[in-house]
Amino acid sequence: MAALLDIESLQVWYGDLQALYGVSMQLDEGGVLALIGANGAGKSTLLGAVCGLLEGRAAGAVRFGGVPVLGQPAEALARAGIALVPEGRMLFPSLGVEENLRMGLRTRRSGPWTLPRVYQLFPVLEEFRHRPATALSGGQQQMVAIARALLCNPRLLLCDEISLGLAPMVVEQIYASLQRIRGEGLAIVLVEQDVRRACQSADRVCCLLKGRVTLQGAAGAFDHAQIAQAYFGH
Amino acid sequence: MDWIETIVNGLLLGGLYGLFGLGLALVFGVMRVVNLAHGEFIVLAAYAGTMLAAMAPGVPPLLWVLPVAVAAFGVGYALQALLVNRAVRTGDPLTPLLLTFGLAVVLRNLMVETFGTDPRALDGGQFTRAGIDLFGLRIGLFPLTALAIAAVMFFALQWLLTRTEWGRIVRATSDNFRIVRLMGVEPNRVYNTVMGLALAFTAVAGMLLALRTSFTPYSGVERLLIAFEVVILGGLGSFWGAFAGGMALGVAQLLGQKIDSNAGSLYAHLLFFVVLILRPTGLAGRGR
Repeated sequence: MAALLDIESLQVWYGDLQALYGVSMQLDEGGVLALIGANGAGKSTLLGAVCGLLEGRAAGAVRFGGVPVLGQPAEALARAGIALVPEGRMLFPSLGVEENLRMGLRTRRSGPWTLPRVYQLFPVLEEFRHRPATALSGGQQQMVAIARALLCNPRLLLCDEISLGLAPMVVEQIYASLQRIRGEGLAIVLVEQDVRRACQSADRVCCLLKGRVTLQGAAGAFDHAQIAQAYFGH
Repeated sequence: MDWIETIVNGLLLGGLYGLFGLGLALVFGVMRVVNLAHGEFIVLAAYAGTMLAAMAPGVPPLLWVLPVAVAAFGVGYALQALLVNRAVRTGDPLTPLLLTFGLAVVLRNLMVETFGTDPRALDGGQFTRAGIDLFGLRIGLFPLTALAIAAVMFFALQWLLTRTEWGRIVRATSDNFRIVRLMGVEPNRVYNTVMGLALAFTAVAGMLLALRTSFTPYSGVERLLIAFEVVILGGLGSFWGAFAGGMALGVAQLLGQKIDSNAGSLYAHLLFFVVLILRPTGLAGRGR
């Protein structure tokens, strides 16, 4: 069976600056891939290339469900089933909590996720549904961002730094909800600074260093030294 | 009593002025594009209404507002889809500005070529000359209707933006045009409908202008100035602020005219100048 997401020797340039040098990776239906690496390693660039929001120039191939998607516009990919929880949450400040969530329904994909279902997942959002999205705490805003992406009913969920700037307890809560989300059978790519947490939550791990893959395999297969070597590249 | 009547008439005129600014505020608020051809579109709608009315003399001229507004929606949609979106895509805010500036010049000269430079007006018949007595004040029926239409337009836009799915998408796109794409929304299509709606509002303003006063192909510049002052007085992007700004300008102009019969609009511009100094973010601005 072909992988749900198949990236083959992906290269990306921003002007003269190359950000990715031939990155290849696969993710199966229902799998969770942790994408780790230092700042500027190319993690967000990779997510951008997959979801169609990339601003640079790209070469290579990205296949989603066997279909080549590299260079397709983000709105088409959203309708095809790729959703992104963007770094910094990027909620719509003019919209209320529920209005933000309803934006996710715009992809008009059917699936397990509905407004009642996401409220079940994050009950606090139902309580605050009429508040402005920016009036919530950071963790609650992150929940809105995740719920909004879920309402797209994606086959592939890309999460960019969802624990950034949140208190440890809140991070715990967010990751617990991620396990429940997994139960619905969608595939997840997790970009995460916290390597240990990433490896715990994922079944595969991929480390980027300066635009190249330095380590890839089952999440439990590497010891601390190997990951540190791949992460910092001595 | 005289003064009160002047103030009331100023408020009535201000409704129309607010409507001049509405389309401009909408386009700027959603896509950060300043439409310098706004005034020409007002005048174009005035000409369109005048022509239609001349073709069918029996019909009350105010009824032509509807078809002209619908046509203006189509023009706005096409304009955005064919030209403005491409200009916006360059990423340089100067490109759409230059585009609409050029468009203004082209439209103005096309109107001179087609209609000549003689002042025209749309004769609204008895209706535009009738008045009613209210608390001892003599108030024109037409200015009152114009204010009512302007208020309805402002309410309608507010309702559309806050209560409908279309409005939610427009606000989200205005907040972040990259992120809405992740939800399957194509920002350019949103912009097309926004420009269409803005020109429809503009067309209503143009028809009311034609019924109120005479105009030439060169009248657009002055209306654009009023629209600008209205939008900036109200605070950029605030529709209710624009409505209030229009009222303030209307009152200032008519009070000015009463004091100094040759220079009414000077006082409106002076008010604008003073507000800019005292409150640069506008009446409803939040000082961002």
